[in-house]
Amino acid sequence: MEGRAGMDILETDVLIIGGGFAGCWAALRAADLKATVTLVDKAYVSRSGASTMSGGITTCPLDSDDLDIWAEEFVVRGGYMCDQRWTYQLLERQRERIKDYIRWGVPISRNADGSIRRFASRGMVNVRGMQYQPKVAMRELRRQITARGARILDRLFVTELLTADGEWPTRTGIAGAVGFDVYTGRFVVIKAKRTIVSTGMIAMKGTHRVDNDCGDGAAMAFRAGGRLVDMEFTFGGTFNVLMKKFDFPSYNVAVAHGARLINARGERFMQQYDPQRLERSELSHVVAAFAKEIIDGRGPVYVDLRHVDDSYWSDIAKLHRGGSILLTDHVPDPKSNPLPIEPTWGLWASGRSGLQIDLGARTNLCGLLAAGSVAKNDATGTHASAGSPTAFCKVSGWHAGETAATESRQSQHPVISRDVLMMLQEQALAPLHRTPTRKTADDLHDDLARLEASVVNGMILNADKLTRMLDTTEAVLDAGRASRASDLHDLVKLHEARNVATCSGVVYRCALDRTESREQFFREDFPLADPTWFCWHGATLAADGKVVFDRQGFPTEGIRFAPQLPDAGGLGPIGAIVRGEHEALVHA
Amino acid sequence: MSEPADGKLAINYETCTGCGLCVLACPVDVIRMDAATAKPAIAYPRDCQVCYLCEDDCPTHSISLSHDISNSRRYSTYDEFGLDITWPK
Ligand SMILES: Cc1cc2nc3c(=O)[nH]c(=O)nc-3n(C[C@H](O)[C@H](O)[C@H](O)COP(=O)(O)OP(=O)(O)OC[C@H]3O[C@@H](n4cnc5c(N)ncnc54)[C@H](O)[C@@H]3O)c2cc1C
Ligand code: SF4
Ligand code: SF4
Repeated sequence: MEGRAGMDILETDVLIIGGGFAGCWAALRAADLKATVTLVDKAYVSRSGASTMSGGITTCPLDSDDLDIWAEEFVVRGGYMCDQRWTYQLLERQRERIKDYIRWGVPISRNADGSIRRFASRGMVNVRGMQYQPKVAMRELRRQITARGARILDRLFVTELLTADGEWPTRTGIAGAVGFDVYTGRFVVIKAKRTIVSTGMIAMKGTHRVDNDCGDGAAMAFRAGGRLVDMEFTFGGTFNVLMKKFDFPSYNVAVAHGARLINARGERFMQQYDPQRLERSELSHVVAAFAKEIIDGRGPVYVDLRHVDDSYWSDIAKLHRGGSILLTDHVPDPKSNPLPIEPTWGLWASGRSGLQIDLGARTNLCGLLAAGSVAKNDATGTHASAGSPTAFCKVSGWHAGETAATESRQSQHPVISRDVLMMLQEQALAPLHRTPTRKTADDLHDDLARLEASVVNGMILNADKLTRMLDTTEAVLDAGRASRASDLHDLVKLHEARNVATCSGVVYRCALDRTESREQFFREDFPLADPTWFCWHGATLAADGKVVFDRQGFPTEGIRFAPQLPDAGGLGPIGAIVRGEHEALVHA
Repeated sequence: MSEPADGKLAINYETCTGCGLCVLACPVDVIRMDAATAKPAIAYPRDCQVCYLCEDDCPTHSISLSHDISNSRRYSTYDEFGLDITWPK
């Protein structure tokens, strides 16, 4: 529908923001339930986001597996910091989604007898994963959605959620979203009875080769009053930089095939830190071990691919046509040379933090649902094993689509005032008309990324450091308010910088609020675990602009695995590793 | 800091048919269709994240990428600690 000059106004039952795995599965399910569906993406659905770029490992429970054993491993490794009902929902529903892939003909790595080739997922002993081709899966999802008549709007950058009362934070709920066409600059209002955010991970631009995932959805929801949980657990990383300059293709895939890490002395150092799972340990433990090796003068660290099985080389050849850097002559032959590798450490959510959702994927805000890596994955708690993030995307997307379609039948579109829409349009497009400023969008992203420059520094936090980090995010937000966007492409990057700064600000505030250390979160000024922090840690924006923290206990009714909590006053795993007291971990 | 990616991404206009698949494929809007030439143009090289999606989707193999992390805002721990990364023989 054509609105006033320069504005399109559309209506839909269900609006989905972000078309990765989570958004696509939501669209599919909502369309199956006969809702009108609009799926928007700042890029082209099926060629965007972490889903397309992912390594293609997903948790693979089959009908013959005893899910109790799998659920227990998720719950225990996640420090019991989860909702065990979600754990079972994840595993049961993932079985069905794998059958969809098989039915659609998505290529899955198989054994000689034709059965699915399964392997222990990184981080796990009992839980199995499989290898499939994510790019083919994404293309197939787009086909399935289109076939069901859902509307896809590509290259639409969403700038803000629409609130029913025109207030941020809202007291009533969410009524859709607004944004602009990246090519034409046309401002678009999408009124929706139910809105699903599935905008992907909270991450900085320029560190993970998934530069579209800047936490846009988390930032927008936060501004509208959405409750983010466990944001200090956003800190994470993976080994993805080869020879200081190339992108290493999927650490998870490499270690599933037997890749090792060795230090400059040729020692397989993970034997010291996790003799059972070695390089397949929790990523945070492996990154901490890397930091320890460097601090103690045993660096650099090399990835040793001399022992991988043959299927590794065929699996990575299929990830893209160029076949990965390892198969080119840009690097010494990896079949005979260990190659220097290093990790990143910083904002890298993958389900350990984000918008909290219930079993039906509803957030705390009426009308707003969330799915995928913008949401907290309450099935696995603080631990993301290889394959569980994409399993969670499918299942949370599926439930979000189902809830949204069902609830939209009983609701109406609220009336939004013309003034509010004009104000949102002005906010979205104003940077195009400003005079040039000292800081460009690129400068702001550079300032933010500098916060995660040092892996060693970034793993070991304290109040001073966090306060300085917070100051930078505030300075970026301030500078961004005056920055000019030279064109629409630059305008996208400017909004993204604001969203990264908003999310990282919440992360650093939550980290300051948490006066203990556990799992991958380590503060040297509070190095010990404190049992009063065994809870969800919420952060919400109040009307006066302050961040309000809360703590909520985990469900205790009818849970299968009673929490076995670490000793009060114990040193967290990162602290233990960097202080050289990991003997305790080895024997735990 | 973020570096321009000029030269790291190249399109062979001799073989390119102008089908536009690379424009669709690019997640970060590096490639735009040039209306005048009806061929894709590398409009925002600095933002190329070297993800290979355009290269993979090009039916005529007209795109080449140099593999270097062109837009990198990554920093090397090895530079920070002054470590030589050659494998000790
Ligand atoms: C390199 C890499 C390898 C990985 N390997 C694995 C693996 O092997 N197994 C596994 O389980 N997990 C893996 N993960 C994690 C997993 O890929 C992600 O958790 C998952 O794909 C997230 O899916 P999603 O749908 O939540 O988000 P995404 O797939 O990131 O999709 C989000 C979409 O939202 C769009 N969007 C964002 N903001 C806006 C906005 N403002 N307006 C409009 N659109 C917007 C983006 O363009 C994007 O298309 C990997 C991640 C990476 C980065
Ligand atoms: S490599 Fe990726 S980011 Fe670079 S131009 Fe191609 S599709 Fe775009
Ligand atoms: S995909 Fe290849 S052939 Fe098509 S426009 Fe791009 S470069 Fe040209």
